[in-house]
Amino acid sequence: MSTSASVPTTGSFNGVDDLKMVVRQVRFEQLSFWLNPLGAFFTVGFSTIFLVMLGAIAGHTTIGSGYGKVKLVQYYLGGFLSYGIMAACFTVLAQTIVNRREVGLLKRLRLSPVPTWVLLSAIFLSTIFIAIIQMVILLAVGRLGFGDYLPTHPLAFVLTVGVGMLSFTALGVGVSTLVPNADAAGPMISIVFFLLIAFSGLYFPIKPGSTLANISGYFPVRHLITAVLASFNLPPGANPWAWHDLEVMAIWGIVGLFIATRRWQWSPRRG
Amino acid sequence: MPAVSVRHLAKSYGEVAAVRDVSFEVEQGEIFALLGPNGAGKTTTVEILEGFRDRSGGEVETLGVDPARRATQRWLRTRIGVVLQELAVEPYYTVRQVLKRNAGYYPTPRPVDEVIEMIGLKEKADDRVKKLSGGQQRRLDVGLGVVGNPELLFLDEPTTGLDPSGRRDSWDLIRRLASAGTTVLLTTHYMDEVEALADRVAVLSNGEIVASGTPTSIGGRDSGAVTIRFMMPEGVIESDVPAAVTSVDDGLVQVVTDDELRVLHTLTGWALDHDHVLMGLAVVRVTLEDIYLKLTRDALNSDEVHGR
Repeated sequence: MSTSASVPTTGSFNGVDDLKMVVRQVRFEQLSFWLNPLGAFFTVGFSTIFLVMLGAIAGHTTIGSGYGKVKLVQYYLGGFLSYGIMAACFTVLAQTIVNRREVGLLKRLRLSPVPTWVLLSAIFLSTIFIAIIQMVILLAVGRLGFGDYLPTHPLAFVLTVGVGMLSFTALGVGVSTLVPNADAAGPMISIVFFLLIAFSGLYFPIKPGSTLANISGYFPVRHLITAVLASFNLPPGANPWAWHDLEVMAIWGIVGLFIATRRWQWSPRRG
Repeated sequence: MPAVSVRHLAKSYGEVAAVRDVSFEVEQGEIFALLGPNGAGKTTTVEILEGFRDRSGGEVETLGVDPARRATQRWLRTRIGVVLQELAVEPYYTVRQVLKRNAGYYPTPRPVDEVIEMIGLKEKADDRVKKLSGGQQRRLDVGLGVVGNPELLFLDEPTTGLDPSGRRDSWDLIRRLASAGTTVLLTTHYMDEVEALADRVAVLSNGEIVASGTPTSIGGRDSGAVTIRFMMPEGVIESDVPAAVTSVDDGLVQVVTDDELRVLHTLTGWALDHDHVLMGLAVVRVTLEDIYLKLTRDALNSDEVHGR
């Protein structure tokens, strides 16, 4: 066995072969996700079951206040669509990255011939794919289970969901670089996330101008919920193009991206 | 051309020097061991050779290319295999799935079934990784290191955490790979591993190589003094013994000598002539562990003197 005399200087892009590798890697990412029943349940199953449960128990109650005769289940549908995006793109992604980094999986991949961009694109696309599956299931439940509830402005919905996915993915990657080890991943990511969604109006509408609205307004979760609801014309008469909400989410996404590029590590921090 | 060439390698993290002026070469087809205590700089050195970490100074070539050079890094990674200290295997895949995935990363991988056979996991091929024992997971880890059919294999403490039979199996596997032409660079802190596997060894202490050579000759091991030991026969005092006694401790006589054959001849002749029984007579050669402990202790003392 001998080393070849002329070493090819390959770039990081090898054309179609690399694109095929992205598709192959996405397939394995998907396999890894769906083979973990607990992870799959808490991402996809959790929001669907909650929507069905809350819809069945209190779904036909009208919200009142600024929402008039709108049923609670309509509100929950928008809320859990937002939850699905955040669970897949933020919570699960951040925890997956931390766990892989801590056990050496990221390092092993880094030392394989697969280019970094292929690995990261596959993780990103797989995350988006899971979020989309979640959207489709929730929309199907909304339409088939509770009545004809679909976004009244589909284009605004698609734009909102797209900005939400990108921003929360960037935030997920950014936050993963701040978590010191796998033991801290659960408490740091999940608890903060669940507190934020609870106080950002997932389970009940928040009165505009209230202290809670002002505080949660600094964080992106409330803006995603508000923007998704707006594309469902909630509250009635809301502008479906929720530019301010999209703007706040995008700013958070850029912050996440900045942290991610500055602090990204392929192996655990020691000492 | 050597498989690995390292000249005056240095790596610092801020003010802390992790590797200082390290030089060595690994020939193709050789098993080369980097031996040293935790924190000696073994993993840092290997990570630089793999192209995982940038160096602060010195020259490094892995399979003829600079591992830090981005343009050839992808080529290099198709020709090296890596087994990490951590058990880096996804828990939910089956053994076959994870090997198949990684095989797809390389242009000329080993057949997956051949690797499964090689690592002795044929019966477990369709079991989930999380159901494997620690030793079996470690073997799968080695399988992932060799599935790309590497010319050069880096093994970072490959048998840490394995039971004795698991260690023997891993050693057999490493020997088979080496006999098929794979160059192996392993880091370890086990002396028996070095003696069982390595053609050559370099001892790293506090970021520096303090000795290198074959496991049987390192640190003057093959030419150094031996210790002859026996229990003092009844009624005999130290001055009666016809050799330069180094110590007598609780009746145990120790004679340290460079001329073991002649001293033994004199002692046994004397014992026969006087009907003495030399209970527990033994010739003790200095072990690799003795040499290693001396080398690393000397290096640490020297660092303290130099205020490092």
